Amino acid sequence: MKVSYRITAVLVLAVSAFVVLYTGSSYKSMYKDDVIVPGPSVKEVKMLSDYFEGLKDTAGDTEVYVLEGEEPGGTLLFLGGTHPNEPAGFMTAVLFIENAVVEKGRIIIIPQADKSGFTANDPQEASPQRFSFTTAGGNRRTFRYGARATNPLDQWPDPDIYVNPSNQTLSGSETRNLNRCYPGRPDGTLTEKIAYGIMEVIRKENALVSIDLHEASPEYPVINAMVAHEKSIDLASIAVLELELEGIKIRLEKSPPTFYGLSHRSWGDYSDTWPILMETANPSQGRLRSKTNEALVLTGKDPWYVKAQKLGKLYVPFDENGHPIEERVGRHSSSVQAIIRAMEYFFEPEQMITVSNVPGFDELMANGFGNYLNEPAK
Amino acid sequence: MAEGIIFLIMLAVFVFTAFAFNLPIGVCMMIASIAGALCDGQGIPLRHMFEGSFGYLSTILVIASAMLFMKTIQKSGLLETVARFIIDKFHNVKVLLLAGITLLIMFPGMITGSSTACVLTTGTLVVPVLMYFGVPKHKTGAIIAMAALYGMLAPPVNLPAMIIGAGIDMPYVGFFKPLLFATVPIAIITSWILGLPHMLKKKKEGQGELDKSALPASYFKQYGIKIILPFVVLVVLMTLPSIFKGKFPDLGMPLVMLISAAVAMVTGKEFNVLEAVREAVRDSVPVMSILMGVGMFIQIMTLTGVRGFIVVNSLSLPQSWLLVAMAVSIPLFGAVSAFGSASVLGVPFLLTLSGSGNAIILTTGITLLVSLGDLVPPTALAGIFAAQVIDEPNYFKVLKYCIFPALLTIAAGLLIVAYSNPLSKWLL
Repeated sequence: MKVSYRITAVLVLAVSAFVVLYTGSSYKSMYKDDVIVPGPSVKEVKMLSDYFEGLKDTAGDTEVYVLEGEEPGGTLLFLGGTHPNEPAGFMTAVLFIENAVVEKGRIIIIPQADKSGFTANDPQEASPQRFSFTTAGGNRRTFRYGARATNPLDQWPDPDIYVNPSNQTLSGSETRNLNRCYPGRPDGTLTEKIAYGIMEVIRKENALVSIDLHEASPEYPVINAMVAHEKSIDLASIAVLELELEGIKIRLEKSPPTFYGLSHRSWGDYSDTWPILMETANPSQGRLRSKTNEALVLTGKDPWYVKAQKLGKLYVPFDENGHPIEERVGRHSSSVQAIIRAMEYFFEPEQMITVSNVPGFDELMANGFGNYLNEPAK
Repeated sequence: MAEGIIFLIMLAVFVFTAFAFNLPIGVCMMIASIAGALCDGQGIPLRHMFEGSFGYLSTILVIASAMLFMKTIQKSGLLETVARFIIDKFHNVKVLLLAGITLLIMFPGMITGSSTACVLTTGTLVVPVLMYFGVPKHKTGAIIAMAALYGMLAPPVNLPAMIIGAGIDMPYVGFFKPLLFATVPIAIITSWILGLPHMLKKKKEGQGELDKSALPASYFKQYGIKIILPFVVLVVLMTLPSIFKGKFPDLGMPLVMLISAAVAMVTGKEFNVLEAVREAVRDSVPVMSILMGVGMFIQIMTLTGVRGFIVVNSLSLPQSWLLVAMAVSIPLFGAVSAFGSASVLGVPFLLTLSGSGNAIILTTGITLLVSLGDLVPPTALAGIFAAQVIDEPNYFKVLKYCIFPALLTIAAGLLIVAYSNPLSKWLL
């Protein structure tokens, strides 16, 4: 008997077409930009391609916010979104852009350093695509939760092994990890071009201090920590002591001298800036986490991490209160402000930066993050 | 619903659909994923299922292109010619011959970090040689599968070590000697255990002399040196990026395989190219579908918290049981993905152990356990492809002979982990 598979084939094709259209629209929605409502000190919004032409019209081009005071002073640069699955860095950048009042000097902020990474999620990580806050005025503000690295649609395929611009050999997937690509290559991959563009911002804007904001899984040893280049270790020490007095415990680590390609190492090696990298505890990117969803991103509460803490497997305290986004952004915000204040011990008075109106750890924990977001334009 | 119950339901649905309805493994994994998501109140999360399957996109491309390369070198006569050459030259030195064959199988994995590359390239080349010298079919498959695992770990490229290193910010530096120590001796010993008794027995029984009529044909005289060009191109394109780091472009395994396959189409016997492509796709589709199903499975496990459940419970065993937990959980999680196991379990175990040992040596030991994931069904990439190159539809017949070498590998991995400090003084 001759069996016809035509009907089966048509059915399978129809189901496939539906799945492709349905999921395709879901992935396409990730290309809608996040809205950032600039605050009082934002004098200019540039693009990374203004510093490095090679990024123009690419998925790696990203906004560079320049916050400037009336009085001239020094320049500090900080990055959020190097890894778009570490939302506290991005949210700290948004907090500064929307609230900070800079009286003296300049703060340059790149909130979405690897913007391509915000358009995708990592396969098999089951991350939520977005997370939201309610503002004081009752509006919803939604932001993307992206992938750790550049979207493979923008840079593909990965090599089997990646030799980064500092000649360090890494696994192939690291080729799309911005924080392995410094100092970048002007003629390299998209991610290497982004790294090169950021180096150009540091060099052309003469950033005295540059900070890279990250998060890490609670089982990762470098957590609730600052990692500082030998140039900036004393500056970071003063900030850590000040934070300790405020009741915020931060570990200080020296940048390993041979770990090339990372911001805390290569920014300092390839420019005059003093680099510092900061980490907070984000269970939504950890391997031990329970259900992966928006609530985990925002509340940081996770029963498996509580169990792991009791077993002594974590490098950060973890109880039923979790590590909410307010705590993580608060740590970053207070740390950046502490670094700015500590600059007075190391730089000339005319190189100082003065900033106010940015909520720190205590304010965020008391009032919630949404209260410090501006109302979106109608 | 509790994570443990969701996990049990996913396993039960997988087993039920596989045995009761005899559905393809990939489809069973997909149905089990849907069941897990439904139990967790997630509905049918199409986005997650689609996204999960993309975790294996690169592997799928490697498999499809490597399968085409294998078909073309079979049909061009290269395979038979190389086998004949090895038999003619080395039939009197079997102990060395088997060691050499093992290193040859390992070579593509040493360069690319992929066990599939070993099985489908050099593994394919040595099948007729081993079988000619009296090694039974299934043991030939086991030799190839095991050597492929060790090849995937051997330096210079060991992807699980790089993945684990990335998880704790440890650069991939200083691994060459430890990895060489952990892989080459055990690889050769494994091949000897599996193959040498048969080869020596054949010789003793007086069948060791060359029986010209049973030998594979050589097309060297007909086509000259150009018949081996596909293999030369493959080796050159795979090796040059490692030798000239950053200077020579890394074309990626799929493209390298396709270029080499294209060369095979014009350097040996003529054959129907369309037919070869059709056969390659037909043979690789079942494995590709398994990988996509596994991708969905792991994404739903992550979504529902089952992944965390497995990791935390593996770590929660008492310290004295930690090595046992590693020996069981790391290879078993490889049923989902060996590389996934390196990241999901390898990193937490290393962090747990790193206070008491040297991180490089500990990672080396853990990667031995990780590699065994490529033998664990349903993915069992090394087992499935080893069965395919020996023309055996039931890959469990190959896996049966991998059990003892796998236990040996577990023992070696655990010893390296347990004695990481003294080993570090010697190897670093």
